[in-house]
Amino acid sequence: MDSYIYTITALLPLAAAMLVFQVNPYHALVIRGVLGAIAALVYTVLGAPDVALTEALVGTLLAITLYAVAVRSSLVFRLGVLKDDLSHPQDLTAPDATPLQQVVQALNTVFKDYYLRVELVPYFDREELSQALIDKEIHATCERGSGADDEEAISRPNAPDSCPPPYRTTTRLRRLYDIMNSELLSPVTQLSYVDLSTVGEMH
Amino acid sequence: MSFLNLALMAMVVALLIPLYEAWRDEDIWQTMLSLSSISSKAAVMILLVSVLRDDWMIGVVGVIILSVGNAGFMLLAHILKRLGDA
Amino acid sequence: MIDWFSYGCIGLGLVFWFWGTSFLLSQRSVLFKLHNLSVSDTLGSIAIIFGLLLQRPREWPLLLLAILSLTLWNTMLGYVLAYCSSSGLITRRPPHG
Repeated sequence: MDSYIYTITALLPLAAAMLVFQVNPYHALVIRGVLGAIAALVYTVLGAPDVALTEALVGTLLAITLYAVAVRSSLVFRLGVLKDDLSHPQDLTAPDATPLQQVVQALNTVFKDYYLRVELVPYFDREELSQALIDKEIHATCERGSGADDEEAISRPNAPDSCPPPYRTTTRLRRLYDIMNSELLSPVTQLSYVDLSTVGEMH
Repeated sequence: MSFLNLALMAMVVALLIPLYEAWRDEDIWQTMLSLSSISSKAAVMILLVSVLRDDWMIGVVGVIILSVGNAGFMLLAHILKRLGDA
Repeated sequence: MIDWFSYGCIGLGLVFWFWGTSFLLSQRSVLFKLHNLSVSDTLGSIAIIFGLLLQRPREWPLLLLAILSLTLWNTMLGYVLAYCSSSGLITRRPPHG
């Protein structure tokens, strides 16, 4: 038995431990590729080229593609907005960002720590928007506050540069509300939580 | 111990550097970079083992992994970029 | 004689590998690391495979194919990685630390 076999085989549990203890799903995706490459090497050294080929082609390529689809479709925060507010959604980093873009950017900053991606879902009017929230198509809505809210906010003395929060973000999930309530430090939006079970009774 | 055995040992040590870099997660593109490095290094190691044992089949597997695996990582890079854009 | 030349090629390739991979540990930009890593990895791997070719001239089609696919794919992968990493979410992120 050659001594290099032991050395190379020791790499496999190392890579597997790296994959298991990785918390970021996107990094785990890439480390799965690392594990696949090392597993192919180990199988080859142990004398199973056919297994190594299968690991490289199916285990690495197909598994990574499927994981990427799963991560992309599950780790997402769907925010319903009105189409009129969405003037140019592309460059969120521009200095002359609209208030909605500032909200989205603040949400992105908050949810980056939870590996969530913020996706904007445009709707035509407020009816459609609230119905989508009730139908659980989206996780939260973000729309301009009503006039009464604006006046109330103006009277608040601690509002930055005496500007009321023009947007109201409503979520139907308690956990998301807790996260946003504790971490979202944006002056352009206020937060509220709606319990869908009580809303269902009202309708 | 022949020279090729020693070379294989040195290659394992060279493989540990990008592995450490992948574990120390900063930027996903750095991880991606170490992934491409690891995969090409592993393929060359497979080729060296095939020469060491004078085994033609292992060499074929190494070449296939080298050519197809890299193509797959290009695909993965594009998927990651799409994830970032959205 | 030809054995020593082959060993020299493999040793040169290993030196290239270690030299290029050591840049991964530095705190430079991704593009800098990518450039060094792709150049040194490709050159080092080609040198190693050429050394193996001298060891086993009988397996020349396989090793030649390996050299060709290595040059083509590594160049292309380097280009794709540079293109992808220079735009998108990842560069928009503020650097950690």
